[in-house]
Amino acid sequence: MEATNSMPNFAVLQLSGCSGCEVSLLNANEWVDKYKLLYMPLVITTKKIPDEIETLIITGGVRNEEDEYNLRKAAAIAKRVVAVGTCAISGGVSNLGDRDEVRQLFNQDLKRHNLPTLLPKSHPVDKFIEVDLYLPGCPPTPELFMAALTSPEDFKPGLIVCAECGRKKLGDMKPKHLTGFQTNVDQPDICLVNQGFLCVGTSTRGGCRALCTRPGHPCVGCRGPSDILIEKESGAWFESIKRTFNRMTEVPEEELDAALKSPQLSLFLFQFADYEGADIKPRNKNKVL
Amino acid sequence: MTILTFPMSRIEGHARVVIEEDGGVVQSADFQAMEMRGFRYFVIGTPSEQMPVIVPRICGVCSTAHHVASVKALEDLYGITPPPMADKIREILLLGQLIQNQATSLFLFTMPDRMGVNSIFAAKDLDCCGTDDTNLTQSALRVRKAGTDLITLAGGQFIHPIKAVIGGVISGIERERADVMLKILDEILPVAKGLFDCYWNLSLTLRDRIGTWGDDEPTYYLASTQDDDLTLNSERLRVLDPTGKEIAGFKPRDYQKHLIMEESRYSYAGESSYQGQIIRANSLARVNMARKLNTPEANVYLQRFKQEFGDPAHAILLFDICRGIELVYAIEKAHMMLEDDLEKGDVKVDYSVRDGVGFGLVEAPRGPLIHRYEVENGLIKDADFIIPTAHNMRAIRRALMVVANRYISPNGINLELDKAVGRVVRAFDPCIACATQ
Repeated sequence: MEATNSMPNFAVLQLSGCSGCEVSLLNANEWVDKYKLLYMPLVITTKKIPDEIETLIITGGVRNEEDEYNLRKAAAIAKRVVAVGTCAISGGVSNLGDRDEVRQLFNQDLKRHNLPTLLPKSHPVDKFIEVDLYLPGCPPTPELFMAALTSPEDFKPGLIVCAECGRKKLGDMKPKHLTGFQTNVDQPDICLVNQGFLCVGTSTRGGCRALCTRPGHPCVGCRGPSDILIEKESGAWFESIKRTFNRMTEVPEEELDAALKSPQLSLFLFQFADYEGADIKPRNKNKVL
Repeated sequence: MTILTFPMSRIEGHARVVIEEDGGVVQSADFQAMEMRGFRYFVIGTPSEQMPVIVPRICGVCSTAHHVASVKALEDLYGITPPPMADKIREILLLGQLIQNQATSLFLFTMPDRMGVNSIFAAKDLDCCGTDDTNLTQSALRVRKAGTDLITLAGGQFIHPIKAVIGGVISGIERERADVMLKILDEILPVAKGLFDCYWNLSLTLRDRIGTWGDDEPTYYLASTQDDDLTLNSERLRVLDPTGKEIAGFKPRDYQKHLIMEESRYSYAGESSYQGQIIRANSLARVNMARKLNTPEANVYLQRFKQEFGDPAHAILLFDICRGIELVYAIEKAHMMLEDDLEKGDVKVDYSVRDGVGFGLVEAPRGPLIHRYEVENGLIKDADFIIPTAHNMRAIRRALMVVANRYISPNGINLELDKAVGRVVRAFDPCIACATQ
């Protein structure tokens, strides 16, 4: 391996997250011979963030004061900033904690000596800094990582997950109820919505190659809203999903409404919808891979 | 008093070691987990059936273990038993994770300590024990990717798997795809063995240089694997005493009768003990429990290990060597299992949601992992995640005390301390995202 100074370089800033995005990046081993990796505490011993960075990849949400400090410091010197994964884009899974009753439990339990102070909630990184490219996914696939590093403009994913799934949508197979979340036995090649699964692939951004739906698990929307919905408020996404189910199923409205409010969907469906206090504008779809 | 702080790298998550010394006398050594997201709080109120999708996000490194433990806890709660085929596929899923994790820990996290570099990415022209054209970085990444491929095959998604579901798995494994995987495993086994042999030799060199494998005292061991195999989709935990005698065996449901769990004021990670005694989990615990392994190449390594280092073995840096044995085992075992038909037959049984308390156990790469869920009206009322890294927390602290005393004296602080602290923590391969959730 020749790591020379003429190679393009990048750094990975890990905030509060699960390291799944980093693991995905390690799976994309094509970059190893083409890029110089400057900083990534998961695999490199370095005491500090480097002084010059071409591309800064940020994973994880801003959960404590130290995350915020490191984020501001690294972003200030990076030429290009890429926010990767649900946590960096929307606060992610830890955002499920942004409920009053949960926060109370937190506060009772979470005083520790000499550790970075927790913020009241997990924040997306663009609350603090400017982002040049968003790469949603939980985690994004190695293929998407490579596209983000090299030439995002040349990467043409399917508009929605359905375009990459390949299961047939049937006009005459209309379930009357949603199946229990995991109870139904999947009939291969037939659309999961036709089978009564709460699959949100019809509104979810493509590019993942329909990893989950092809083997038979409903899409939970981890890539966030498709281009058509991304600059709209979160209600638009709900409406779009409901229209699909009204057209393809006979599931009663109330049942659908209740199911759409489930925590596992809210993990992902609210990506790009965190316009808290109106100080964050809708993200420009041209900045999203 | 001087406070020495060592931010950790080449481990999963954010943690630091803090050593306090006064006039060359060590006062304390602590290992602090600094981040926290709060899973056990925010899953409260979640429909129980959704846990297998949410909890893998506790950790992107150990996601498979959380996924399977979650499904098993709900099966225990709903009172159902998955078909044998589903158990096999889950085992393959966990083997994939073991390959990926042990390869990462060995070659990405700890190999640099043995080569005197900061990272296997940052160094130029790494020469792996003279094996001429072998590119260490690419070979190491290939081995770990074989683990990811196996997770994708058996688990659908490649990091946060989806295929294990309550009652079984969503589908079998097609012959054609199994054959592709068999070919990858055939190719990767000699690469993994080559890297591991090199690692073993470099470890001997390291021991000669520092004069020790880590001179901590013998201790208790906790694992959920058995004498004669390493089944990861496990049912029962076991405890060995420092002489290697089995002194307790229990179901996950009874863990509180044997293990004491405590919170820490200085860290977001809790810690456990066996009746107040320091325990160790992870690779060394499993190897100390295994008399033999039922795959040929790994068994040769196991017997060589026991002959060279004793049985039970206690030295801290031996954790790392044990990971190599398990890496070879997991590759061989996955190969054996994929030769069978996994395509036809029942993969799933029906269930209906009911209330109660359920426990799910798997042997994760870092040790036994238990999920405990209490469900009321179909919603999670309370959840506990008994994390393998928590079992090692007290052992890590004691090992750090040993290291601190070795390198800090009234004459000064030996600069080897910085490296030694890293080596000791990495030997336990702690996972901070899991430990704090």
